[in-house]
Parts: sequence; structure tokens; C-alpha cells
Amino acid sequence: MTNNTEALVLRFVDYGESDRIVHLLTPDRGRVAAIAKGARRSQKRFPGTLDIFNHLKIQLNRRSSSGMQRLEGAKLLNLFPPVRRDLGCFGLACYLIEMLDRAAPEGGGARDHERLFDFALDALSSLVAGRVDRSLRVLYELRALACLGFKPELDSCVRCGVPECGQLSPYFLVSEGGTLCAPCRRPQDAATALSRGTVRMLSRSLTMPIGSLSRLSMGGKMLEEADRAIRNFQRFYLGLELRSQQFVDRLS
Amino acid sequence: MVVPAPIERLIENLRRLPGIGEKSATRLAFYLLAAPQGFADELASAISRVKRDVVFCEICFDMSESSPCRLCQDKSRNPKQICVVEEPADRAAVEASGSFRGLYHVLGGTLAPIDGIGPEDLRIAELEARVRDKGAEEVVIATNPTAEGDATAHFLADRLRSTGVRLTRIASGMPLGGDLEYADRVTVGRSFDYRRDIE
Repeated sequence: MTNNTEALVLRFVDYGESDRIVHLLTPDRGRVAAIAKGARRSQKRFPGTLDIFNHLKIQLNRRSSSGMQRLEGAKLLNLFPPVRRDLGCFGLACYLIEMLDRAAPEGGGARDHERLFDFALDALSSLVAGRVDRSLRVLYELRALACLGFKPELDSCVRCGVPECGQLSPYFLVSEGGTLCAPCRRPQDAATALSRGTVRMLSRSLTMPIGSLSRLSMGGKMLEEADRAIRNFQRFYLGLELRSQQFVDRLS
Repeated sequence: MVVPAPIERLIENLRRLPGIGEKSATRLAFYLLAAPQGFADELASAISRVKRDVVFCEICFDMSESSPCRLCQDKSRNPKQICVVEEPADRAAVEASGSFRGLYHVLGGTLAPIDGIGPEDLRIAELEARVRDKGAEEVVIATNPTAEGDATAHFLADRLRSTGVRLTRIASGMPLGGDLEYADRVTVGRSFDYRRDIE
């Protein structure tokens, strides 16, 4: 059965003489691995398409005899030029794509897949050469976590639930998923202090269009706090040590 | 399948080669078993010698039987032109075209953060030193037109700009024998961006 859909290339591995196994993020099935037979020789079915970051229109064929789907054809819709021209954009795109490749679900609800796919396209489309910094990486990572279903609670205390309570003198408690107000904090909690400004900035970033995130600039203590909190949150819930992190950190 | 230990060991080793699965490894192992002893000895010797006899050229980092390699020692080539490629196979492809008469520099890959490959893992510092020390006039960046190849090309251009060397990038666009109808819009767009006057 052939399925026409859109896809974002997360990763590929050359296989055999001319085949390529491609890991794709799709809006209807989530993460999919498919084999493109003869992809490296093909001038007509896969012309210049099966490369990381590429947004494609694809034809997938699910074969009953094999677990792996077969990619019958692909057409390039967008290759996000700034990602190829600017090292900051390239590094951040690699970071996001690696995160999605390792954390995006393969099954589950179509609405979740669509939300994640839209996020990935928006995130790559919004990268502007010369405007990628560590602050944007933290905000992108937070949005990615939210789209993957791991949105930290930033608007109320995770224990008492009082809105804005966590923003008065907040802490961040990774194991319980968000901000904690001072009265709710127990001595044994491994909570880290966050400034009010940091919590507000992170909370605001979750509701803004992705294209506007580069206007939110964090620096100094705020950036250190936010980076540490979001990275610890990611490690706790997704358990990922991303290989591209070292590259991205060096660019910052 | 239960097979004698030496065959199992051969299958296990063949499976470690890229693109070889268990079935292919088994097929190759039984082929070798049925082949004349001379063929097996020659293959084993070739594998052993390739690791022992092939070295990296100290100038261009291509694989060679000697260092400096034959091309780097060739006085008829233009030492002021350096073509940067990702891998030795790319050097061979450019050389086979007969279009380039300068020298080469093999980077050893591209920037690939997802695979943990950064600038320090490529022979970029060596390229910079070579350009400065040898007074190169042109560096042709011939990394593949992939996301990683393009990003690497821009990174190299940024690093080399201060040397004042002329920096060029190989053209990309419609392939010979290609069909506009089947080409993606980016390729067609690049063909127009880089169009040339008909001589």
C-alpha cells in the first residue's frame, strides 16, 4: 500500500551498493525508517533529496513481508539554505534533528506526530544566519521537549498548584517536572533556584511563535540558569547525551 | 545454522564490513571455502598488505604507497591551486575528470556534529598552514553539495578568508544527461544561479 506524505530527513545510512536507509519524521506516522533502493544511483526517483534536514514529499510503500518500509520516490520541498551556509544554524539544526531522531515516537496519536512535525519545520525555517546563539538553543530545546510531550510546569507550583506561586521565589525541581514555590520546598528536594525573570522568560517562550524566539535574548546568570535547568530536565526525562552538544557548545 | 568454528569466525568478520549482513557474509564465506587455495591466500595477503603498505601523504593526506605521494611530487602540477575534497575516493573522481591540474587536500570527512565530528577531527589546521606557508593562490572547495558538505565549505571559507587566497566552490546544478522535468527545484534554481555565457 502506497502512502503519500511529507517527511523531514533525520538521518541516513548507505546500504549495499546503491541503497540508502533513511530515518524520516512524518506528520502522520512519526518517525519512520525506510529503505530507498538504488537511491544513490537514481537520477529520477531521488534526485538530490535524501540528505539530512531536507523537507520532502514522499511515497512510502509498506511491504507485508518485511518490517522496513520502502521509499518509492521523493521530491524536495525545502532544504533550508541557512542551515547549509551558517555554522550556528547548522549546529543548532543538527542538535534538534539528533534530538528528534532519538526521541520522536514511532507509533501513537497522529495529532502528536503532526505537532512535532510542524515544530521541526517551523524551527528549521526560522533559523536565520548570524542570529543563532546559546540562548536560542535553550529556547528551541524547551520547545522541542514540549512538543515531545515533556513540557515543564512553569506557571504554577508543581506541589500546591497555585498559579504564579512558583514565580514569587521559585525553584526548579526536575523530578517533579517544574517550578516549586519556597513554602513547598522540602530540605531533601534536589531543587535549584531560578530567578523570577528566568521562569517568566521560559514560560513566555512556550507560547510565542517559533520565528519570534530569536528576539528573546537571555544572557549572564539568566542564560546559565535556564541552560542548566532545561538540560537537566531533558536528561531526566529523555536520558539523551547528544553527540552534537559538544559542537554546539563550542560555537556558543 | 551450526557450522565449523573457522567458518563461523570468517562469517563474523565479514559481517563487520559495511553493507554486509549475515546472509551476504555467509554466502561470501562459502564462496571462499569453495574457491581455490591460491585465491584465498591472495585475498588474505592483499588485505594484510593494504593495511601495511598504504600510508597517508604528509602533504595532501591522500592514501598513497609513499609520502609525499606521486601527485604532490609531480612538478608539472600547479602547486598554487589546491582542491579540497572530503575523501580519497573524491580525489580520484576529480582526478579522473582531467579538469584539474593543481594539488589536492583530503579533509578526511565533513563536519558532522551528529556523529561527533567537529573541525578538530578534520585536517583543517593542516590546510590553513599549507595555504599560508606555500602561498597558495586558489583553494577550490570540492566537498559534496550535501548539507554537511556545504556547511563544511562555508566553514573552510570563513577560516581561510583572512589568508587572502582566492576561494572557489565547485558548481552545482543540472547533471549531464539530466532531465529538467525530474530535477528538484533547488537544483534547477542553482542551475540558473550559476548559468554561464555560451562560448
